[in-house]
Amino acid sequence: MSKGKRIKYFFIVPSIGWVLAFTIFPLLYSASLTLFRVRLGKPARFVGLANFARILSDYKMWNSLRITLVYVAVTVALQVLLGLLIALLFHQEMRGKSIFRALLILPIFCTPVAVGYLGLTVFYEEGGPINSILMSLLGTKIPWLSNPFWAWVAILLLDIWQWTPFCFLVILAGLQSLPEEIYDAAYIDSSSEWEIFRKITFPMVQPVVIIVLLLRLIESFKIFDVVYSLTGGGPGTSTEVYSLFTYRTGLKFFDFGYASVLGYLLLAMVMVVVNIFFRRVREVYE
Amino acid sequence: MKRIVPLGVLVFLLFVVALAYADITLTNASGESITFTEEELGTIAASGEKPFEGITITVTVNQGGPKGGISGPLYEWRDAWEQITGAKLNIVEIPYAEHYPKVMTDLMTGTGQYDGFFIGSDWMGELVVGNYIVPIDDYMKDPRFPKWDPDSLPPSIRTLYTWGDKWYGPLNDCDGQILYYRKDILTNPDYRAKFKEKYGYEYNIPPKTWDELYDISEFFNGWDWNNDGEPDSGIVMHLKVGAQGMYHYASLSAPFCILPGEKVDKYHNVYWFDPEDMTPLINSEGHVKALEFQLKLQKTGPDAQVAWSLGEAWDYFLRGKAVFTFSWGDVGSLVQDETRSKIKGKLGCSILPGSYEVYDRSQGKFVKFDTPNVWGNTTGGSWHGVISALSKHPEVVYHLLAFHATNKISLWNVQRGWTGVDPGARFHFLPPYGTASLEDYVANGFDPEDAKEYLKAYYDNFFAPNVAPYLRIPGGNEYWVALDRHLSEAYTGQVSAKEALDRVARDWEEITERYGREEQLKVYQESIGYGK
Repeated sequence: MSKGKRIKYFFIVPSIGWVLAFTIFPLLYSASLTLFRVRLGKPARFVGLANFARILSDYKMWNSLRITLVYVAVTVALQVLLGLLIALLFHQEMRGKSIFRALLILPIFCTPVAVGYLGLTVFYEEGGPINSILMSLLGTKIPWLSNPFWAWVAILLLDIWQWTPFCFLVILAGLQSLPEEIYDAAYIDSSSEWEIFRKITFPMVQPVVIIVLLLRLIESFKIFDVVYSLTGGGPGTSTEVYSLFTYRTGLKFFDFGYASVLGYLLLAMVMVVVNIFFRRVREVYE
Repeated sequence: MKRIVPLGVLVFLLFVVALAYADITLTNASGESITFTEEELGTIAASGEKPFEGITITVTVNQGGPKGGISGPLYEWRDAWEQITGAKLNIVEIPYAEHYPKVMTDLMTGTGQYDGFFIGSDWMGELVVGNYIVPIDDYMKDPRFPKWDPDSLPPSIRTLYTWGDKWYGPLNDCDGQILYYRKDILTNPDYRAKFKEKYGYEYNIPPKTWDELYDISEFFNGWDWNNDGEPDSGIVMHLKVGAQGMYHYASLSAPFCILPGEKVDKYHNVYWFDPEDMTPLINSEGHVKALEFQLKLQKTGPDAQVAWSLGEAWDYFLRGKAVFTFSWGDVGSLVQDETRSKIKGKLGCSILPGSYEVYDRSQGKFVKFDTPNVWGNTTGGSWHGVISALSKHPEVVYHLLAFHATNKISLWNVQRGWTGVDPGARFHFLPPYGTASLEDYVANGFDPEDAKEYLKAYYDNFFAPNVAPYLRIPGGNEYWVALDRHLSEAYTGQVSAKEALDRVARDWEEITERYGREEQLKVYQESIGYGK
């Protein structure tokens, strides 16, 4: 083997090592854990598929899964829709566009845990800023964190506030890359903005929208930080999302076997969703 | 010349002896000084040799900062302790909800990152059964270490610091929930007359039963009885999930579901599980009635309380917005802080009310008592330090913990609300129940009447003839968390009281199975003194 060929292995070894140590090993180790009842400091006990069977009767898991699915569907749909609308707005000529654009993307840079704690202040029921405004204008206040529905709304609002700018930014980049000539030709045939959007802009920007949708879907399934810091999964279990439930099972109650099963279930769900969307992307491109 | 030399030596020796037996004055971070005798501080400190020089110990504590509950005293006395021992103290603050898993991970993986922990007493079963902490009995007899007084603790608190016959932690915090009420409001003759007109009877001050408390709370809820221009509440509780909300239920429910008896057997003096087979009792009729009552009582307080942690609920009471709260000793001393409290000098305190009806499982029905069935409680963490079995310097950790347990530092902590250290030892109480002086409390900012009320109520609670059993078996934290989350479902109207408690029972069965029913049963019986 020549020196040039050998050097390429030298460069590739660290990344192989990294992947083996931090991806393959945890994956295989957690796969083995799914078959055991594990308590740290005590011998693991082989339980076969009992941890998998437990999923079927675990109403807490189904509750957290239901909450997560609804959360993913609502937040991702709203974020992408709002991101698209704002991107279309910013795709027009307007004064101060660069300043507004910079301001709009600021929430992306916040740490989600900090956003959660910020939410605690903003949604504070007795004298918090939102309720104070509502009280002075309408004479009423919203039970943001003490009511299951409103606690859920509070989390949605924070998440939408933080991640809509991401959707906006990527879609705007997609819009700005569309060729001007097509629009020149389109305006000769039609003067309807809606028609142009429906038949030209959206189909052309659709691959970008799907990628944004995909990225947000994957991220949203893993929602943890905001919920953890804002509601802790409460009131009751009304905002206990899947990742929080898995975290508690594994790292609070040290039930590692079952937590591994929960982790694999999430992985399977995300993979299914990703596959569906990749198939769609492929269809669009073909 | 011959006479001068021996005289000089004599003077020098006397000086050395005087120095050796001199009292030692230590100053804390607030600039306040306490003088100790050599006996109180132990010979390690009195010798001035600093034998722990070069050693650093690390202890974990609930996050609270230099002026926070439980963590505060560690910062307050750190320099003083380091000065007398030569050791260095590294304080690691961990948020309440993360503390237990962090500690257990350290111990179960054998990492040994921490030398000691300020634990909640409900962790004790897990720690002792797993041999993760060391007993301190030998250190307690050793005059080298600071002296503290284990005999000053009531049996109810002593139980939390020990397992079997062995001690695992020196005195620190004594948790239990008592009733706090607005004495000025309840004694208002106008309000009393209006109450009698509406309910047809005169209320007791303090109320003797939960039903009576409910009537009063309902009467005062929703109108401006403190003339601040805003409607006020009957009661306030801290019910947020994951923030110790479940402890309210544990204290309130005891009189509805614990049948008092001479000893702990299948039907008497039990609360958590059937001591013969570990069947959860949490969804029995007594518990369901207690939770239904709490849900009714909750409606006489602010709606937002279901999302409030301790600070928010306490603050509401301190601002004079509620007639009642029931909580830990922190409230009594925080009331004295006029930067936070508007009700100093207006405080009434008592042991929690009882119930005339209690569920008797042996008969399968509620039985009536002539006098209320009243139970003291040790609800809460009674946060105290323990020594990790993995520590390389257990004697240094013990020295620190014993230093904080000395009568003088313990009393100093108890007299300041922000420390989170609550009274429970005899030397915290006033005569004839204890040895503390009212003047001392007053000098530290207490209103004299408030101090008397507060300390008497705590004495009554901890020294009560009946004190509710405490859950501290392996998995204790997990059992508590299951209770917490399902109670919160009931508080927020997601499920009924019965359904919430059925869910708790289902979760508890699953936890018990996972930990091993036989092992859990054995430890549970041991922890509640079954059959003794």
